[in-house]
Amino acid sequence: MSAGAEDGALAEARATIAQQAEEIERLRRRLGEERLAEELRDALSLAGTAAVIAAPVSHTRLLELIVETAAAVIGARAGALFLIDEAAQELIFEVAIGPKAAEVKKFRVPLGHGIAGLVAVSGQPMAVSDASNDPRQAADIARDVGYAPGSILAVPLVAEERVIGVLELLDKEGAASFSPDDIATLGLFAQQAGVAVEQSGTRRRLAGLLSGVLGGLGDRTASPSDLQDRAGAFADGVEVDPAYEDALSLASLVQEIASQGDRERMACRALLEGFAGYLRTRPTAGSWGTGLGEAR
Amino acid sequence: MSQLRPAWSAAFATDALQTLHPIPGLDDLTPEWAWGSSTGAGVKVAIIDSGIDADHPAVGGVQGYVQIGGTPEALTYDESPHGDAYGHGNACAGIIRSLAPECELYSVKVLGAGLTGKGIHFAAGLRWAIEAGMDVCNLSLGSTKQDFFGILHELADLAYFRHIPLVVAANNLPAPSFPSTYAAVVSVAAHDVPDPERFYYNPDPPVEFGAHGIDVRVAWQGGSWITATGNSFATPHIAGIVARILTKHPGLTVFQLKTILRALAANVARVGV
Repeated sequence: MSAGAEDGALAEARATIAQQAEEIERLRRRLGEERLAEELRDALSLAGTAAVIAAPVSHTRLLELIVETAAAVIGARAGALFLIDEAAQELIFEVAIGPKAAEVKKFRVPLGHGIAGLVAVSGQPMAVSDASNDPRQAADIARDVGYAPGSILAVPLVAEERVIGVLELLDKEGAASFSPDDIATLGLFAQQAGVAVEQSGTRRRLAGLLSGVLGGLGDRTASPSDLQDRAGAFADGVEVDPAYEDALSLASLVQEIASQGDRERMACRALLEGFAGYLRTRPTAGSWGTGLGEAR
Repeated sequence: MSQLRPAWSAAFATDALQTLHPIPGLDDLTPEWAWGSSTGAGVKVAIIDSGIDADHPAVGGVQGYVQIGGTPEALTYDESPHGDAYGHGNACAGIIRSLAPECELYSVKVLGAGLTGKGIHFAAGLRWAIEAGMDVCNLSLGSTKQDFFGILHELADLAYFRHIPLVVAANNLPAPSFPSTYAAVVSVAAHDVPDPERFYYNPDPPVEFGAHGIDVRVAWQGGSWITATGNSFATPHIAGIVARILTKHPGLTVFQLKTILRALAANVARVGV
C-alpha cells in the first residue's frame, strides 16, 4: 500500500468514527429528550388531576422539569424560570439550571427590568446574541443569577391569554445565537408549559387553603374572617370549576362547624384527622372508586 | 331632485370630484423614484412602544412625547419628556433614524414597568397618534387578547381612512396578534439578510412584508447596543422606508404605499433589473 493510499484509508476510517460518534450522540440526546419528555408528560398529567393535592415540592419539580426539558431540546447551557406576581408587579425567580444554579436563591425583581421583564410585559419572545459583550447590559436578570451569558432566548409562559411567567434559556450550545426555529419551538413549548404551571399553581393554592383552614382549627386567635379572606383570595385565583367549588364548600362547612365553639371545633378536627390518617395508610393513592374497596 | 344622492356619494358628484396626481406604471417604479435621496424630512413618525431615550447616539433626538397612564375611566396623557423603560423603543427609533435621518420621531410610551392596563394604554396611544396627525406609526407590539380585537380594528380602519400607515410587527409566536392581522395595516415579519433596505413581499398573507429582523445590531437601554432577533426589529425597517417615500410623495394612501412596496420588493422579478 502506498503512503498516499494509507493516508486515504486512515482519513476514511477517521471520518467513519466521527460519523458514528455523531450518530451515537444524536441517539443519546434523543433518548435523553424522550426520557425528559416522558417525565414532563407525567408531571403535566399529574398537574391536570385537580383532585390530587400534592406537596408544594412537586410544583417546584414541575418548574425544574420545564427548564430542563427546554434546555435539553433546544440545546442551552443554562436556563431559568420566572413567575409573575401581578399584585406586586414583580417577577419571582423560581428555578435555575446550569453552572451557577446551586448558588442562586429565590428572589424578586420589578417587571421593568431586563430582557425577561420586557418579555413579560410585551408577551413576545426575544433572542439576544451578544449579551456578554456590553458591560452596560449588566441590568439584565441573567446577571442577577450570577451568570454572564453570551446568548439569551426568553419566551413568555401564557395561560388563558395571560402572561404568567417567563422561560429563559442562556448560551446556545454550538452556536453564537438562538435561531428563529428555536424561538418558534420554545414558544410552542412554553404555551404548553404555561397551562401546566397554571394548573399546578391552582392545585397548590387549594392545598394552601385547606391546610390554612385545618390549621386554623387549632388556633383560637384565627378569626373566621381570616379564613373567609383566604377562601375569597383563592376563589379569585381560579375560574369557576366544579372541583374547586366542592373544595370551597368543604372549607366553609369546616369553618361553620369550628365557629360553633371549642368542643365542636375539636370534634371536627378529630374526625378529619382520623379520616386523613386512614387515607394515608391506604395501599394506593387511587381514586375513590378503586381505592376504598381494595384490601391486602 | 338632482341634489338627492345615495348616502356617502357626495364625494363623487361631478363638481366635487378632486383631480389626483397619477403614479407611474407599476413596471416603471424604481427605488430611486420611490425614496432615492430622501431623508424622511418633514415626516412625523410615531413609535408606539416602551419610550425612547433621546440621548442615545442612535436616536439623535426626539421631537415629541406622550406617555399613556391611568385607568380606563381616567386615562392620562403626559407629554413631558420620558426615557425608555426597556431599550425596545430605542431599538425601533435607532433603526428608523438610520434609514430616515431627518424624520421627526414621536415617542408614544404605552409599555412601562407593569402589566396593569397595558392593552387599554396601547389602544389609547394608537388613538393619540392618529388624532395628533402622525404620518406613519411604528407598532413593534400587539395584543393577542380577543378583548382588544374590536377597538384595535376600529383604530386600524380609522388610520387607513386618514392615510396613516400603521407598520405593525407580526406575532413572534404562531398565534394571531392584533392589529397585525388586519388588512388595513402594513404587517411585517423578519428575514435574515443584513441589508436594511432589502424587503420582500409575501403573496400569501396575513403577513405581507419581510425585512431584516434576525441578529440585528440595535440600540438598547442606557446608551448600549445589543444584537437581537424578532419581528419587532424588522418592522422599523419598513417604517423607515415608508417615511422616506412619504417625504417625496406626500399624501399617498395606504393602498398606494402597499402597491409601491409590493412593486419594489426584492423578490419581484422586475423588467430590466
